[in-house]
Amino acid sequence: MSTTTVATDQKWWSGGRSPFNVEYGKLMMWYFLMSDAFTFGAFLISYGTIRFSSNGWPDANHVFQSFPFLGSGLPLLFVSLMTFILIVSSVTMVLAVKAGHERRKADVVKYLFWTIIGGIAFLSCQAWEWTHLHHEGAWWGSNPFPNADGSLSTTTNFSNFFFTITGFHGFHVFSGVIINIIMLIMTLTGVFEKRGHYLMIEKAGLYWHFVDLVWVFVFTCFYLV
Amino acid sequence: MEHTIDHSAEKFEAKNEVMKVTIILSVLTIVELALGFLMYKMFPEPGFARNFIKGTIIILMLSKAYYIVAYFMHLGHEIKNLIMTIVVPLILFVWFIIAFLYDGHSFNVNRNTYDRYKNEKGQPHQMNPNAVEEKAEKPKSVE
Amino acid sequence: MSNEEMLQAQTSTGQVVEVPHHDHHGEHHHHETFITKYVFSQDHKMIAKQFLVTGMIWAILGGLMSVLFRLQLAYPDATFPWLETLLGKWAKGGHLSAEAYYALVTTHGTVLVFFVLTAGLSGTFANFLIPLQIGARDMASPFLNMLSYWFFFTAGVVMLSSLFVETGPFSGGWTAYPPLSALGSASPGSKTGMDLWLISMALFVVSSLLGGLNYIATILNMRTKGMSMTRLPLTIWALFFTAILGVLSFPVLLSGFILLIFDRNFGTSFYLSDIYVNGVGALPNEGGSAILYQHLFWFLGHPEVYIIILPAMGIVSEVMSTNARKPIFGYMAMIGSLFAIAVLAFLVWAHHMFVSGLNPFLGSFFVLLTLLIAVPSAIKVFNWLTTLWRGNIRFTPGMLFSIGFVSMFISGGLTGIFLGNSALDIYLHDTYFIVAHFHIVMGVAGMFGMYAGIYHWFPKMFGRYLNNTLAYLHFWITFTGAYLIFWPMHYEGLAGMPRRYYDFSNWESFKMFGGVNIFISVVAMIVFAAQIMFLINFFYSVFKGKKVTSQNPWGSNTLEWTTPILPGHGNWVGEIPEVHRWAYDYGKDGKDFISQTTPVGAEESSH
Repeated sequence: MSTTTVATDQKWWSGGRSPFNVEYGKLMMWYFLMSDAFTFGAFLISYGTIRFSSNGWPDANHVFQSFPFLGSGLPLLFVSLMTFILIVSSVTMVLAVKAGHERRKADVVKYLFWTIIGGIAFLSCQAWEWTHLHHEGAWWGSNPFPNADGSLSTTTNFSNFFFTITGFHGFHVFSGVIINIIMLIMTLTGVFEKRGHYLMIEKAGLYWHFVDLVWVFVFTCFYLV
Repeated sequence: MEHTIDHSAEKFEAKNEVMKVTIILSVLTIVELALGFLMYKMFPEPGFARNFIKGTIIILMLSKAYYIVAYFMHLGHEIKNLIMTIVVPLILFVWFIIAFLYDGHSFNVNRNTYDRYKNEKGQPHQMNPNAVEEKAEKPKSVE
Repeated sequence: MSNEEMLQAQTSTGQVVEVPHHDHHGEHHHHETFITKYVFSQDHKMIAKQFLVTGMIWAILGGLMSVLFRLQLAYPDATFPWLETLLGKWAKGGHLSAEAYYALVTTHGTVLVFFVLTAGLSGTFANFLIPLQIGARDMASPFLNMLSYWFFFTAGVVMLSSLFVETGPFSGGWTAYPPLSALGSASPGSKTGMDLWLISMALFVVSSLLGGLNYIATILNMRTKGMSMTRLPLTIWALFFTAILGVLSFPVLLSGFILLIFDRNFGTSFYLSDIYVNGVGALPNEGGSAILYQHLFWFLGHPEVYIIILPAMGIVSEVMSTNARKPIFGYMAMIGSLFAIAVLAFLVWAHHMFVSGLNPFLGSFFVLLTLLIAVPSAIKVFNWLTTLWRGNIRFTPGMLFSIGFVSMFISGGLTGIFLGNSALDIYLHDTYFIVAHFHIVMGVAGMFGMYAGIYHWFPKMFGRYLNNTLAYLHFWITFTGAYLIFWPMHYEGLAGMPRRYYDFSNWESFKMFGGVNIFISVVAMIVFAAQIMFLINFFYSVFKGKKVTSQNPWGSNTLEWTTPILPGHGNWVGEIPEVHRWAYDYGKDGKDFISQTTPVGAEESSH
C-alpha cells in the first residue's frame, strides 16, 4: 500500500477513507455477489432438500451422455467442454483486468473480446444441451429419466431443478456477456482512458468470475454427485 | 469523497500465477469428472463408499471455489478486513445447509413410514424395516 | 412554553451557533426542475421523504383494511350498507364476504410488514440519517438510491392493482404458503391476485437490495474524518445491521418465490405432492415438499422481523440518550447485542414451523437458538432503563414514543419466550396469542420507533415543528389503545381461539369472547382515528408548522445538527466537519452536551 506506510487498524477505520482501501463501487459489487451467492445457495440447497426427501434420483452419467455430431454414449464429455470454456473465459477476463490496471488499451480490447466469445460459446453449448434434453422429453414438469437404481422416476423434480437452476445461471452468463460487451464498447470509445482508470472492468470482472464460481457449484451438484 | 486507491504494481503478479491457477483448476475438474464417472460404475449400490466419493468431489469443488475467489477475483490480495467481511457471513451457510437437508431427509422418512398413499417408487432408504408391514395395514386415520 | 423555548431554557449551556443564510452548498448549486427535485430526485433527503410519504399512504391503506376486518370480527351478523358501496361485490348486502375478509387480512399483513415497517421505516431513516450522521454529502450511489425508491414505488403500484382484479387480491396469508398459493384452483385470490402479489414482492426485493447495498457501502466507505466505527451513533449501527440482514436474507426469499412461480405456471412440483382439488381432481404433481417453501420463506421471514425492529432500536437509543441528557448506557454492549441479534436472526427461522411437520429433534435446536435471543434483547432493555435512570428527562413526543417502545418491547418480548418453546408453541400456534405477540413486539414497537424518529427528526426534515398538543394526544391514545387491543388477545389465544377465522359465532367455545372482540374492534377504530390525527398534524406542520429558528433544537451531539436548518444538496456548506468524539457526551464535565465536532480538551476526562 503505497499511500500509507502505517496500516494500523486505527488508521483504516478512523474515517475519511475506505477501511478496505477500495472504492465504493467495488465494495457494492462484492456485497451484491454475496447476496447473489445466497440466491444460488438457496436454489441449490432447495435442490438438495428435495433430493434428500426423494427415494430415487437419476444418474447424471445416463442423462448427460451426448455430444453434438458424436452421438450418445459419451457421459459427461460435453459438460467438461462447457466447464473448460467457462474457465478459459475467466482466465481471459483476469488478463483483461490486469491489462486494464496497466492501462494497456489494446490488450484490454483483445482479452475482453475473447471473454465475450467464451461467454457466447458457453451459452450456445447450453442452448444445444437444453434442446437435446428437450427432444429426449425433459422439460419443466416432465422427466423421462429413470432413477439410478433403474426404477421409474415418479417425480419430475430432477428436470424441474435442472432447467430452473441452469437457466438462472445461464441468465447470469447472458447478463455477464452484455456487461462485457458494454465494457468493450466503453474501452473502444476511450471512456476509461479519459477517466484515467479501468476500475469498471475490474467490477465487470468480479461479476464474470462469480458466474464461473457458481458454475463450479452447479456443475458439481447436477453432473457429478 | 476523496479516496486513496492504490494501483501499486506488486498487487498484480506475473502471468504465471494466472497460468498456475488455470492448470490447478483444470486438473481438479478432470479429477472430479473421473470420480463422478466412476462412482456409479464402481459402487452400484448406495452406501458409504459412494457417499465418500461424493464427499471427495465436494471437497474438490470447494477448493476450486477457493482458487477462483482468491486468485481470479483477487480476494486473496485484498486487505484482511475485506476478506473477513466476505468470508465470515458465508459461515451462515453451514447451518442453512445442515437444517435444510436434515429436514428434507426427515420429511422423506416420515412419508415413507406413514403416508400409505405416497406414490413414489425407488428404494426407500433408512427406513424402519417394521414400518413396511405397518404401512400396509395402517388405517387412514393415522395420517 | 413552546417546544423551542422549553428546550432553550434547558440547554442554556449549549453552544449558540450562528445560522448560515444560504442553504446550498456552492458546488452543488445547479438548476433543478420540479421533476429532478421532487420526483426523480437523487438527493438522499428527498428520497427519504418519498419513502416516508409512500409508507404513510400504505400505512393508512393497511390500517383501514384492519378496521374493516375487525368490523367483521366484532359484528359478524350485522350489515353495513356503506361497505357494499365501498367494496362492491366483496360485501354483498353490506356483509363482508369470506374471500374479502381473507384478502384484507393478507394484504394488511403484507403491506404493513414490507411496505410500511421495512421500506417506510428503514427506507426513510437509513436514507435520511446515514449521510447526515456519518458526515457524507450523499449516499455512495445516489442513482441506485433513486432506483431503490422507484422499484419500491412500482412494487406498491402492482400490489395496489392486485386489489382491483376481478378475482381479487391474494388471500392466503402474508406468508403465502403453498399449496394454497401455488394452485390457482385453490381459491379465487390464488389466481391473478397471487401473480401480481409475487411480482410486487420480487420488485420489492430488488428495491431493498439496491437500498441495502448502498447503505452498507456508504457507512463503511464514506464516514468523515475522525468518524471511526465506534464513534457512530447507534442509529447508524442499527441501520448497518439491518442492511446486512436484508442483503443476505431477501435473496433467499426471491429464490423461494421463483420456485413458486414455476410451480404456479410451468407445471413443476417443487412444493406440491399428492394433491386433490375439489372440482379439479387429483393433480399429477409428485415429490415436492411444502415444508421446503416454509423453510425458504422463514429464512427471510425471521430476519425480516429484525429488519423491522433494529432500526427502531437504533432510533430509540439515540432519541432516548438525547432526551435523558445522559450518555447511552453501555454503548459497546448495545453494538454487541445488535450484532448478536443480527447473527441469531439467521439461525432461528424454523421456530415458525414447529407444527408444520418439522423434525422435532431439529426443532429442539431451534428452540435453544431462539431462547438465546433473550440474552441480547435483555441487555438492550437493561441499557435503555439504565439510560433513563436518574436522567434529566425531557418528555418530548419523540421521547415518549421511545419509552413506549421499550414498554412494548418488554411485553411482546416476554411472550416471545413462551412461543420459542416448541412444547408451548404446539398449543399456542395459530391462536390469537401469536397475533398479540407479534403485533406488540414487531408491529406496535416498530411503529413506535418510527414515530419516535419522525417526531425527533421532523425539524431537520422540514425545518418546522409538529404541534405538541396533538403529538401528546397521539401518543397517549396510541399507547393505551395498543395495549387495550392486544392485551385481551393473549387471553383469547390461551383459550385456544384460532387466528384467521372469519366468524367465531358458530363456535360454542369462543362465543364468550364476543364482547371482547367488540371491545378490541372499537379500540382499534379509535386508535386508527388517532393515526389520522397524526397525519393531519404531519401534513399541516410540513407547510404551516412553527419554524425552527435554531440549528440544534434538541441540543444534540450528532452531526446532522451541525448542518443548516434546511440542508441543501450536499448537506454542509463548505467543508464537512471533522469528528473528535463519540455521539453521547451528554452531561459531561458540567456541560449539558458536547457536539461530536468539538475537539477533546486537554483537561477533559475520557469517556
